[in-house]
Amino acid sequence: MLDSAMAALASLADPSLLIMLLIGTVAGLIMGLIPGLGGTGAVAILLPITFGMEPPQALALLIGALAVVHTSDTVSAVLLGAPGSASASVTMLDGYSMAKKGQAARALTLAFLSSMAGGIIGAVGLTLAIPLARPLVLSFASPELFMLTVLGVSLAAVLSRGNIIKGVSAGLLGLILGMVGTSPTTAEERFTFGSLFLGDGLSLVAVALGIFGLAEIASRASQRRGQKQIITLGGGWGQGIREWLTHWTHVIRGALIGIWAGVLPGVGATAGTWMAYGQAVATAKDKRQFGKGDPRGIVGPESANNSVEAGDLIPTLLFGIPGGVPSAMLLGMLLTYGIQPGPSIITEHLDLMYLIVWSFAIASVLGALLCFLSVKQLAKLTKVPFAILAAGLVAVMLLGSFQEGGQLGDLWIMIILGVFGWLLKSTGFPRAPFLIGFVLAIPLERYYFLTDSLYEGFDWMARPGVLVFLAILILPMIWAFIKFIRTRRKTNLDDGHRDEQPEDDEAPLKNSTWSLTASGIFFVAFAAALISSASFSPEARLVPQLVSTGGLIFSGFLLFIEIRRRLRDRTPKAGETLAEEADGIRGTQPAKAGWTLDAKFALKTFLWMTGFLALTAAFGYLIAVTIFIPAFLLIVARARLKVAIIYTGVLYVALLALPSLLPIDLPQGWLNTLV
Amino acid sequence: MTSNKSSLEPPGFSPAGTDPQIEPSEQPDPPKHSRRTILTAVGAFALLGAATTVLGGSLLNPPSSTEDGNFSGETLEFLIPLASGGGTDTWARFIGTELTNYVPGRPGFAPVNEAGGEGILGTNRFARSAKTDGTEILVGTASTVVPWVLGRSAVKYSFEDLRPVVVNGTGGVIYARAEAGVAGVQDLINRDTPLEFGGISATGLDITTLVAFDLLEADVTSTFGFEGRGPVNLALQRGEIDLDYQTTSAYGSAVAGIVKEGKAVVLMSFGQLNEAGDVIRDPNFPDVPTVAEAYETLHGKKPSGEKYEAYKTLLGLTYTYQKGLWVPQETPENAYELLRQSSEKLGTDTGFQEKASKVLGGYPLVADTGMADRVRDAYKVSGSVRSYVTGLLASKYNIHVE
Repeated sequence: MLDSAMAALASLADPSLLIMLLIGTVAGLIMGLIPGLGGTGAVAILLPITFGMEPPQALALLIGALAVVHTSDTVSAVLLGAPGSASASVTMLDGYSMAKKGQAARALTLAFLSSMAGGIIGAVGLTLAIPLARPLVLSFASPELFMLTVLGVSLAAVLSRGNIIKGVSAGLLGLILGMVGTSPTTAEERFTFGSLFLGDGLSLVAVALGIFGLAEIASRASQRRGQKQIITLGGGWGQGIREWLTHWTHVIRGALIGIWAGVLPGVGATAGTWMAYGQAVATAKDKRQFGKGDPRGIVGPESANNSVEAGDLIPTLLFGIPGGVPSAMLLGMLLTYGIQPGPSIITEHLDLMYLIVWSFAIASVLGALLCFLSVKQLAKLTKVPFAILAAGLVAVMLLGSFQEGGQLGDLWIMIILGVFGWLLKSTGFPRAPFLIGFVLAIPLERYYFLTDSLYEGFDWMARPGVLVFLAILILPMIWAFIKFIRTRRKTNLDDGHRDEQPEDDEAPLKNSTWSLTASGIFFVAFAAALISSASFSPEARLVPQLVSTGGLIFSGFLLFIEIRRRLRDRTPKAGETLAEEADGIRGTQPAKAGWTLDAKFALKTFLWMTGFLALTAAFGYLIAVTIFIPAFLLIVARARLKVAIIYTGVLYVALLALPSLLPIDLPQGWLNTLV
Repeated sequence: MTSNKSSLEPPGFSPAGTDPQIEPSEQPDPPKHSRRTILTAVGAFALLGAATTVLGGSLLNPPSSTEDGNFSGETLEFLIPLASGGGTDTWARFIGTELTNYVPGRPGFAPVNEAGGEGILGTNRFARSAKTDGTEILVGTASTVVPWVLGRSAVKYSFEDLRPVVVNGTGGVIYARAEAGVAGVQDLINRDTPLEFGGISATGLDITTLVAFDLLEADVTSTFGFEGRGPVNLALQRGEIDLDYQTTSAYGSAVAGIVKEGKAVVLMSFGQLNEAGDVIRDPNFPDVPTVAEAYETLHGKKPSGEKYEAYKTLLGLTYTYQKGLWVPQETPENAYELLRQSSEKLGTDTGFQEKASKVLGGYPLVADTGMADRVRDAYKVSGSVRSYVTGLLASKYNIHVE
């Protein structure tokens, strides 16, 4: 074994291999920077180039790209609050908060170092897993996978930052949204209202970019000035590395969770990264800083999302079962070279296996190094007024999310979810549980039904793996309950109050008409889901009904709290009649935080986005960009005329050149069909 | 959203809307631009964009001349109605890249993924508005063929209105878990406990296997909902299910190993349709009996009747002629012939065959002169086959096709 490992390393000294690896790494880094493209885009670009190459060169190229996509997708998540990929939205929670405090360089340094470590640990894991993979994968039957998804969903409570009711409501709504489309067991369409487009379910990229990215843009587009000062790392890189080293346990834990999530088919990079975050929060003693710039919230997930890619290669190579789109493309490439994935790949192509391992490790280091060297330059991006960045970001994010399915409908969904994400963010609903629910909805249902139909009664509950999961699920609950009782006895300070205060600046519209509206939307959505699921077949409606009933209870409670608070606030002021007060849901009387400047600006920004998309639908993407960008820059961002002209000019040229350079399609409008 | 008038006004045009934006800080917001500056700048760029869109289309891509014996300056656009990354996508991108080198004039290649409705949306769009000059090509596959066979109301296309340029088949085998007490085909019937088949969805590629089980009168129950064939294979190895099938390209990685270890038994292959429309042995599994032979072993007579007709129809549609490139019926003869002949040249090139053997799963690219007629026959689905299949789904699997 060692021989072939060394031989593979020696073969990488071949300049043509090294060049390919370098090209792959750079391409992967660039694709990661563009929100919405990610690994799929990187492999899709490089794949046609590899036709005609020798297998080692082609592998070095693709693995190089795959290994570093999740290194650079952090950049836009941390600096702009616009995640480069769905899994980067995890790093965004703490990284972006840190950047807003002026510590962008610190956040990026931590992230890049963790990515590198995650990649290396992933590569080591890939090597070790070669003999272990088969028993590992085979020991995870449907019941274990079901418990794993339950564990993932229960993270919603952990990640709800003190407000469990809001967190669970958001998680349940995410589950419902994830069930839009074809049911996994009965192949019938649910919540699609007869639309074929919805039949495939909502696109993950559109949901993640909408709920986090567009929402962020809307709430910050009013900033016409950049951050004035950037707090650089005092003491330079040395301190960054030293700080990072203090979190080494989180790095390793994150990486291991990532590998594991990658190895198991059906879990996926996004869910795996969230789980790494969830465990970091769950095991931390002091949870208060999470979501507000806790370094542990960056280190764990960043390490995980790189090692997921390595873990993903294990089932791809050893079973021919790809865990994601990029590895599916890699599988296709291997087949074109006559390399048959499967258990025999170890005996027949061991040299290539080690080449993959080494390429992955080297690319991880190289990619992190390149990013690391540019931290200072990248951090300067925060000096640019956000409003100016916003214009280009909207255009790039919509274009990125269009690439996956080529459907304009995805972009409308993205904007609608953007508005919803903004509402959640402003009214203090955590968005992380929402995305977790969305990602895990189908696996949860799938493995529940498979478990139910393949095992008799509750036999599966007695499987050792299931028992372990049950313990992981239940013990912390009991522990938390005991702690709760104890602290209650001692003082009057409970968790809720401690967390609520500092959160208010993040959620300016909490306790206003807006949060009332949000609770109302939740309630109505769950009610609608419950009613429309009545028409499904019994198998297809079980899970949606359970989820929406639960959602009704939680959101009903929220609504009750909100209404009671309104009543309490108002009664001393004026003698309004009871009937009028009940009408408060509709906001007949504007509340004190009813129509703030920020809210007005955010909604206006969404109107701009809608206008942009309407222009796209009518005249195609090119015209939409040439109208939207200068208009937004001049009117909203009030950029200088020169800036606006150069900005639009550069984008215009890029849009003309891109489709011939990269596999990117511009959305076509009604006008294009006429020409 | 509450009704507040100012939100409806276009931002920026309402002077009151943005003025109070000035935050209490040392640095004031930049001044507003005059309306004239804005209108001029936006107008100029809008004109530029419009000009590029209108003129660029015809300047950069001059009106197509695909009937003059070559495709020079053209771009072959492959409409892949599924998301990128799947088997069909890999197949189409590979074939497209190679094919464009063989078409005279060396056209460009532009794969376009238009996913939605499991392939139905993109194919509907193609049927409605594809260019008929031979530059727009549809990638057809089992996911779009099966709903058409079932007559789903969402399907607005018909393969009878399209012309096949090239087709490529696949094959597959049905195998069982040895520990479930299966040593051969005869263990499919007269069982104490039925065998459990693991499927993805009864209305997908699984349908051919389900019809085969019904034809053989095999004692089988089914569980659907798996994510893909790979996970089904793993479930079989774990002992959760007993029966599975894999297509030829996955056989090597998924089945060959466990058969060698004695954990699984290959029962039969789906077989292939020959030119006369009969089921023959699959060239990739010459030693494995076909479903038709298995019937003979079990029931002592040759298969016939409605069920066998349905099986043969589905075998042709979902295996022998599974993947294909199609153009609209109205495509000019010259352009069509050029594409077909280029595909034929590609398919018979030994260098290509060697390179492509794994992607194509060991089945040739077929584009000879008689191909279109054979495909036409295979894609004729009789009313009785359709009603039998929908009836089987309704009675046995409680699925009502709408």
